[in-house]
Amino acid sequence: MSRRMQPEIEIRFSRLHKFFQRRHLLNDLSLSLKSGAVTLLCGENGSGKTTLLRILCGMEKPAQCWVAFNAKNSAGAANNGKANAPRPWRQCRPQLQRQVMYLHQQPYLFDGSVVRNLALALPRNLPAAQRAEQIQRALAWAQLDDLAHARAKTLSSGQMQRVSLARARLRQARIWLLDEPTANMDRAAQTRTVALLKQLKQARTALLIASHHHEIFAELADTCLTLKQGRLIRTP
Amino acid sequence: MQSLREATAQALTLLLHGDAELWEIIGISFRVSGGAIAIATPPALLAAFLLAHLEFAGRRLLLSLCNTLLSLPAVVVGLTVYLLLSRHGPLGDWRLLFSQPAMMLAQIILALPILVCMGHAAFQAGDRRAWETARMLGISPLRAFVMVLGEVRFGLLAAMLAGFGRIIAEVGASMMVGGNILHATRNIPTAIALETSKGNFPQGIALGIVLLGLALLLNLALQYFQGRGRSAP
Ligand SMILES: Nc1ncnc2c1ncn2[C@@H]1O[C@H](COP(=O)(O)OP(=O)(O)OP(=O)(O)O)[C@@H](O)[C@H]1O
Ligand SMILES: [Mg+2]
Repeated sequence: MSRRMQPEIEIRFSRLHKFFQRRHLLNDLSLSLKSGAVTLLCGENGSGKTTLLRILCGMEKPAQCWVAFNAKNSAGAANNGKANAPRPWRQCRPQLQRQVMYLHQQPYLFDGSVVRNLALALPRNLPAAQRAEQIQRALAWAQLDDLAHARAKTLSSGQMQRVSLARARLRQARIWLLDEPTANMDRAAQTRTVALLKQLKQARTALLIASHHHEIFAELADTCLTLKQGRLIRTP
Repeated sequence: MQSLREATAQALTLLLHGDAELWEIIGISFRVSGGAIAIATPPALLAAFLLAHLEFAGRRLLLSLCNTLLSLPAVVVGLTVYLLLSRHGPLGDWRLLFSQPAMMLAQIILALPILVCMGHAAFQAGDRRAWETARMLGISPLRAFVMVLGEVRFGLLAAMLAGFGRIIAEVGASMMVGGNILHATRNIPTAIALETSKGNFPQGIALGIVLLGLALLLNLALQYFQGRGRSAP
C-alpha cells in the first residue's frame, strides 16, 4: 500500500511547559504537526529545541502538555466532522511513541554492519526476500550502497546521519522530528539531505526540523518557528 | 616441618598427577561459585539496568545501599544464612544447611552487590541513546533490553568476572554454611584452611597455586574486557 493512500494525520500540542530545576525552559507552547507540512525550528544553543522534540515524540516528560490527534481522510474532511478533544500527554505517550520518529542530534548506531542497523527498523516477521528488497531500496535512497557492509560504529558522523535517515524511512513513520540533520555534513551531503527530505514531504510525511542552518531548509519549510526565552515565535 | 621448596614440589606433583581428591575440591569450588554467578546475574543486571535508566524516588538510596553492601563482611553473610537455614530458622524446613545450595545462597548474596554496582556503571557508561533508538524503531522493551546488553557486553562481563573473583576465594561464609565436608562442601578456600591447620602443606599450596593462577587469569580477562569496553566507540 502506498503512503499516499493512508489517511492524513494531524497532532496538535498545546499548553506545553517544561522546567529544568527552576528554569522555565518551555513556557506555554503550542504547535501542530500535520501530514505534508514542514516546520523549521530555530533557536540559539540551549534554547530548548532538543528538549521540545523529545517531549513531542514521547521520550521526555513535560511538566504539562495536551495532545489532540486528528485523522483526516484523503478528501481532507475530519473523520467525525470535528476535532478530537485534547488529552494529557501522559495518556497519549504510547501513541506518540508509535507515530512520531525522533532522529537524534548525534544518531546512535548499533554494533554491526549498516545493513544490520537498517534491518532493525523492519518488523521481525517480514519475509526475508521482502526484507532484503526494502533494505536495498533504503540503501539506494540514502546513497549508502558502498557502505552497506561497513561497520556502523566506524562511519563518519555525516554518514551516520544518512544511515539514521534510511533507518527512519524503513520504519515508515508518518511524523519525523529531525534534530540537526545536517550538522557535520559537507555542502554536497547537505544538498542531498534536503533532496531526501523533499521526497518525504511529497510522500506526505510531517517534518519538524530543528536546525541552525535555516537557509538550506528555507525553500522546503512551510513554517519557521524560533524558540526564544521559552516562547515560540513565528518568523516569516 | 618440611621446607617450603619440598612442599611446593609435592604440591606441583599432586596437581600434575591429577590427584583425585584435589581435583574434586577444585570442581566443587567451580560448580558452586559458577552456579552462584549464573543465578545472580540475570536479576542483578535487570536491577542495574533499571537503576541506570529509570528515574524514581529512592534510586540514589538504593545505589548507596548497594555500594555499602560491596564491603559486606563474608562472615556476616555466613552468619545470616546460617541462622536462616538452621533447624529452627525461618528456612529450616528446607534442610539445606551444610550443603552446596547453602554455600551457593551465601555466595549469591555476596556477588549481588558487585554485579549490580558494576553492571550499573556499565549501563551508565553505555549510551542512553541505544535504548531510546531501539524503542524509537518499534522494538519491544524486552528485545531492546537484550540489545542494550549486547552494546555494553564487555562492561557486564567485567562485572561477572569481578563477582566470580570475590566468591571463589571466600572462606568465611563457605565454612560456616557448608561445613567443609569432604566430597560435598569442601572447596578450595576451606580446604586450604583445613590442610594448613593440619600441617599438610603440599595440598594447601597446590590449592593456593590454583587460586593464584585463577586470580591472575581473572584479572587479565577483566583488564581485557574493560579495555574493550572503553575502546568501543
Ligand atoms: N536533563 C537535564 N537536566 C537539566 N538541564 C537540562 C537537561 N537537559 C537539558 N537541560 C538544559 O536545558 C537547556 C536546553 O537544552 P537543549 O538540549 O534542549 O537545547 P538545544 O536548543 O537543543 O541546544 P543546541 O542548539 O545546542 O542543540 C540547556 O540549558 C540544558 O542545559
Ligand atoms: Mg539540541
